[in-house]
Amino acid sequence: MRDERDEVIEAVRGALRTSVADQGDPRAVARILSAAFAAPAPSRWRRWLDGWHLPVLSRAGAAVVAVIAVAAGFVARGVLPNREPMDPMAVTGELPIPVVPASDPRAGAVATQFVFEAPTARSVALVGDFNAWIPTAAPLLRLPSGVWTVTVPLMPGRHVYAFLVDGARLEADPRAASVVDTDYGRPSSVLMVPGR
Amino acid sequence: MSSSLPSAPIDPSLPLRAKAGDRQAFAQLVELCYPRALRFALHMVGNREDAEEAVQDTFVRVYHHLGRFRDDGRFEPWLFRILANRCRTVLAKRRRHAEVIQYGDVPDHDAPTPVDGPDWMEEIHKVLATLPVGQREAFLLHHVEELAYEEIAAVTGVRLSALRMRVKRACDVLRVRLAEVRRDEG
Repeated sequence: MRDERDEVIEAVRGALRTSVADQGDPRAVARILSAAFAAPAPSRWRRWLDGWHLPVLSRAGAAVVAVIAVAAGFVARGVLPNREPMDPMAVTGELPIPVVPASDPRAGAVATQFVFEAPTARSVALVGDFNAWIPTAAPLLRLPSGVWTVTVPLMPGRHVYAFLVDGARLEADPRAASVVDTDYGRPSSVLMVPGR
Repeated sequence: MSSSLPSAPIDPSLPLRAKAGDRQAFAQLVELCYPRALRFALHMVGNREDAEEAVQDTFVRVYHHLGRFRDDGRFEPWLFRILANRCRTVLAKRRRHAEVIQYGDVPDHDAPTPVDGPDWMEEIHKVLATLPVGQREAFLLHHVEELAYEEIAAVTGVRLSALRMRVKRACDVLRVRLAEVRRDEG
């Protein structure tokens, strides 16, 4: 069968291939990365399972596997102790960035994204009253566009923060609505996190 | 100002580095693939909100299932398979087939087409929206995203002959309907 190309199809193709997206939109990319990194990292078991490509089973084979799985589930239910529910605020050991998938309804924390443009910086960290201004608590991830981003859980209320650039220089957030100069003479920004 | 998106193949080491846990590599993949992914999703689902949702879901799924990406595979077909599935889910969930699709961000009237003007673009989108999802998907993957039939067949599980037939039917419909538009304008 010949490839279906002619004048009309070429015209349609050309029109549809025309850019309709925000090329390299750093905000969109940052949103996607925050969502990806904020979701819980798959467990070791899950990663092992992901590495497997299950063989295609016949109906009879699938039925046998299903029966075994159900039986194993009943056995495990009577044998295994109940696990304590995971603290959703716990930082997973694998993630260098302290992120949470969403606000924690129990504690009322709200996942908050920070974005900072610093194409020439070697490192950027988010420091503030919410992490005791510890430089290693919330490193930002650099996107190829030179935009740095991180998402952290914040309690509703007023937070003072800044970006620590290259481990040495504090800079206020140019996107913040309010900037304060604290008693220590360092530039800081203010963020009001609304309650949910 | 808009332009045709680059479709240069992605450095094959990039998805492998992302698979090995390199977040910078994953970020680079997202940045490189985002425009094409959004374009495909927009043409599939017809509005920006749904398209962005499908694209974001896709990349989150890609990130968490990089372990399933074959080391010797091409990244784009794998990405578009997941994205096409997400688009189908969005379409099924929102059930907006009946309404005339509004491509809010699509209009780009300086496209090098033989028939210029907003009407031409609008007509393409209207015809595209009337195609069955499978035909629209196959047409976009082959003619717009330039995936080979073999790649589309491998990632969608649809037989090669059926895939060619879907693209042919989509082309036939586009050809006939758009010829009518041209005649009406002439």
